[in-house]
Amino acid sequence: MTRLDMRKSLKPVTQTALGIAAVLLFIPLSGRAQTTSGGDRWLHVRVVSTDAKGESVCVNVPLELAEKVLPAINKDQLHGGKVTIDKFDGNDVDFRAVLDAVRTSKDGEFVTVNGKDGEDVRVAKQGGFLVVHVTDNSGHLAHHHHLNKDGNKDGDEKKSDDSAASKASATPSVSHVEVRIPLSVVDALLSAGKDQLDLVAGLKALSAQGDTELVSVKDEENSVRVWVDSKNTNGTEGATR
Amino acid sequence: MIMLAKIGLGALGAVVMTGAYTFREGVIRVDVDEYRPNGDHVHLWVPAAAVPIVMHLVPEQELHKAMRDAREWMPVARVAAHELGRLPDSTLVEVQDGAEHVLISTHNGAIKIDVTDPQEAVHVVCPLETIEDVTEEIANARPGA
Repeated sequence: MTRLDMRKSLKPVTQTALGIAAVLLFIPLSGRAQTTSGGDRWLHVRVVSTDAKGESVCVNVPLELAEKVLPAINKDQLHGGKVTIDKFDGNDVDFRAVLDAVRTSKDGEFVTVNGKDGEDVRVAKQGGFLVVHVTDNSGHLAHHHHLNKDGNKDGDEKKSDDSAASKASATPSVSHVEVRIPLSVVDALLSAGKDQLDLVAGLKALSAQGDTELVSVKDEENSVRVWVDSKNTNGTEGATR
Repeated sequence: MIMLAKIGLGALGAVVMTGAYTFREGVIRVDVDEYRPNGDHVHLWVPAAAVPIVMHLVPEQELHKAMRDAREWMPVARVAAHELGRLPDSTLVEVQDGAEHVLISTHNGAIKIDVTDPQEAVHVVCPLETIEDVTEEIANARPGA
């Protein structure tokens, strides 16, 4: 057999092997490109501490993942995506009836509390949202401690702590809490029946909402934000991919 | 001579095929580096394709024990792995606390866990399909089967 004949006899084997190898290599790429969808909704949680260490927590959860995972959990009070609240004491208040009354009423403020200690609470219905706003400027003093990179107080501040109990750096603490819950989500949560919350239905209703900020907490030390949108990033540099 | 060449090519083909299959299935990586004198440095690379094969070799008794301990969480892990694999590369959890940093993310069909602090760094990468396969294997291991 000549060298040419040998090459000819080996060629199909080589081609087949390389062909199969190429197919195997590219299967995951083509598969992923087909299954990736752009319509996923994400629940984001961001907690940022304003202290010198700059502690931050970012969580991004695809709502569809939560919708699929929750029914698979069957433990304690959680079964089939529904949580049973058997020990909830509502003091004979029919919350379903209350929420139904809220839902069918016009937009407006339902509860306004101006506390003596500077604690203001406002509960309102605004454009299909149940809004709870709490402002606490009750005069608690927040002490700003400047920490060095090791997490210890700076030397100068140690001295001031010893002397005047850091009164110079004390400022009144004001905290704002705003919770906005779509009423459709509340309805869905309560759709399971008495003493049960249908979490999966709630998540589905949340998915159907547009971009929504659900919780916002801001005080002297921390800021917390919970929101839903269609991005898979938290908006922070480190979390962006 | 020709026979030798054929055998050589066959071996080469097998290596190429195995390599391609391994790359397709991905690799489980565990890297641990301790930044202290005489600190441990562990770098473990296991082809994910080998995991289901190894699972078949695990004694059924041990598999049933694992099943008993983790039965209720296997469907959760399987569904989560499947759904995560469907999504684009994403950061799921990121915690920054001073010099400590924890990142859980998905990248190229694998889940990545990165923990770094001044004392040590831990990086774990596991293909989501492998998690699906393993959880399915454990879930299907019925006692007495």
